[in-house]
Amino acid sequence: MTALPEWLTDNRDTAALTDMLSPASSRSLETLAAESRAITLRRFGRTMTLYAPLYLSNYCSSGCAYCGFASDRKTPRHRLEPDEIRRELTAMKKLGISDILLLTGERTAAADFDYLRKCVEIAAQEMQKVSVEAFPMSVNEYRALADCGCTGITIYQETYNHERYETLHRWGPKKDFIDRLETPARALEGGIKSVGLGVLLGLSDPVEDALSLYRHVRHLGRTYWRAGMSVSFPRLRPQTGGYEPPFPVDDHLLARIIFAFRIALPDTELVLSTRESATFRDGMAGLGITRMSVESKTTVGGYSVSESKNSREKKDEGQFEISDSRTAREFCAALRNQNIEPVFKNWEPSYNGPSSSISHEIQTIRPTTPIAPEMQSNKPSSLLTPETETCH
Amino acid sequence: MDVLQLGSYTFSSRLILGTGKFSNSRVMLEAVRASGAQLVTVALRRFNRQQAEDDLFGPLSSIEGITLMPNTSGASTAKEAIRAAHIARELSGSAFIKVEIHPNPQHLMPDPIETFEAARILAKEGFLVMPYIAADPVLAKRLEEVGCASVMPLGSAIGSGQGLAMSEMLNIIIRESGIPVIVDAGLRSPSEAAHAMEMGCEAVLVNSAVAAAGNPPEMAEAFAEAVAAGRKAFRAGLMQKSGSAVATSPLTSFLGTF
Repeated sequence: MTALPEWLTDNRDTAALTDMLSPASSRSLETLAAESRAITLRRFGRTMTLYAPLYLSNYCSSGCAYCGFASDRKTPRHRLEPDEIRRELTAMKKLGISDILLLTGERTAAADFDYLRKCVEIAAQEMQKVSVEAFPMSVNEYRALADCGCTGITIYQETYNHERYETLHRWGPKKDFIDRLETPARALEGGIKSVGLGVLLGLSDPVEDALSLYRHVRHLGRTYWRAGMSVSFPRLRPQTGGYEPPFPVDDHLLARIIFAFRIALPDTELVLSTRESATFRDGMAGLGITRMSVESKTTVGGYSVSESKNSREKKDEGQFEISDSRTAREFCAALRNQNIEPVFKNWEPSYNGPSSSISHEIQTIRPTTPIAPEMQSNKPSSLLTPETETCH
Repeated sequence: MDVLQLGSYTFSSRLILGTGKFSNSRVMLEAVRASGAQLVTVALRRFNRQQAEDDLFGPLSSIEGITLMPNTSGASTAKEAIRAAHIARELSGSAFIKVEIHPNPQHLMPDPIETFEAARILAKEGFLVMPYIAADPVLAKRLEEVGCASVMPLGSAIGSGQGLAMSEMLNIIIRESGIPVIVDAGLRSPSEAAHAMEMGCEAVLVNSAVAAAGNPPEMAEAFAEAVAAGRKAFRAGLMQKSGSAVATSPLTSFLGTF
């Protein structure tokens, strides 16, 4: 078995978070909420950045015990073709959405890298900000996606408990725990500007997972100091296959985790999706969360009404059931009621593409005296970036 | 008349307002009006021509007597900031560009190397360049040399409300600068803004302190008054602080009298 990375057990700066997450914490939920709220207000103001997911394909090659799209589920499989994607994007734009997360399952022949790259290219023509939550890729593949306008990668470890991970991921490429752990680093090496991390709460001990997630964020922050980072708090929802979470996380614990992360990581974007109820989302807005999804569909496609005649989404079951099913308009009204401005555009596409900084150019000047390869970078050589692929 | 001079532009108000972080554009506009600010900054990434409701540019450009200063917040390199400056000029028609380059989108600390390079090129292209920088006296002089219209050192970290934590360095920058010094970021209270003006800053920029206040328009007005008071005090000349206590028995009596 490959050795686990050292950072996974690095306790240098986890003491405060450990205390805040402990059921016997010296700090009450209410005190944590007040501090989390104050930090959020100071740092992010009275705003909420909004995005929406677009499921491109539900083909999958992995057997995750908890997922409605796992390859052994009898759910109908589709992928969106370019024309369908454009239709979906048009429908999403009508809702005001300009920040989009493209999703697929694990790599399959039907939804492989070339397909994904094409989808990113199409989406980047229509949307202001395009992120991807798909399968782990190589540095080169990430660089090609960045060149096509992908700025963010979301990749959840699901659980940082190696044993639980082995049990839950029954087959397929996702079974490789270490490869998944190293994926965000590869994305950043490839010029992706920000990575979204998370654990699927309910799969394993939530406090232990939250601490490992924090270590991962800190490790990446120290190694890739330019990286943007966001942390999500998905809780396991009912889905096809009827998997019951062995470590259920109640509202109080989820709130405690979110407040503690805001206090421990005051500048990091914290994300809450429509997996959560309207009541919980409205309550958490302004208390720590700074980014939320709106009017999400978890079926492949689903935004474009013109398709409703052959009504694919009626017979389809999504990856999971969403809980907050309000329209974008209703959700924005609820935010405004709380004196929070919904922000649809908080990105400028002219910043897209891998950033090439002046210092980077300086680094790449060939020195007159050769430097030993191991001195040129503190990164593992497998992560060093070969030449760039570009979009066509 | 005592005016703030930036390039060929003059402003009687010395309070510059940031426009992000407000709960809605109505409150933001009320705060802008209440502040009496004539120069406001707006992030290019918050220009939204598709969705009018969260667009900041449209509502701001409708106020008379306001000069817009687009900023490049979100850019992480000189190249990105320069590209953003060109787009911002095309969309807004403003001669000003606030160069904000923070390679780490989390702590928002400005990158001195990229900022210098972007400022140098944009100043050469004729922009009125207002660079957001750490409180670094040498960098401030280098930016002056390449033709910036002002320097905008941070009082403390953006959104931290830690006030003039960098006051030692700010004092040096102010003393040495041949261009206006505008404190940008970190101010929490009007008294801190007044203090910055008493130190000799030509203007201050605030955003979070107003947007996150209980009543933003009222806080904007309070900042305007504090900035005006601080400026007046600076011009009037503060009484010197006495350096140390005077000993009751003279220390130099041994020297005898002439």
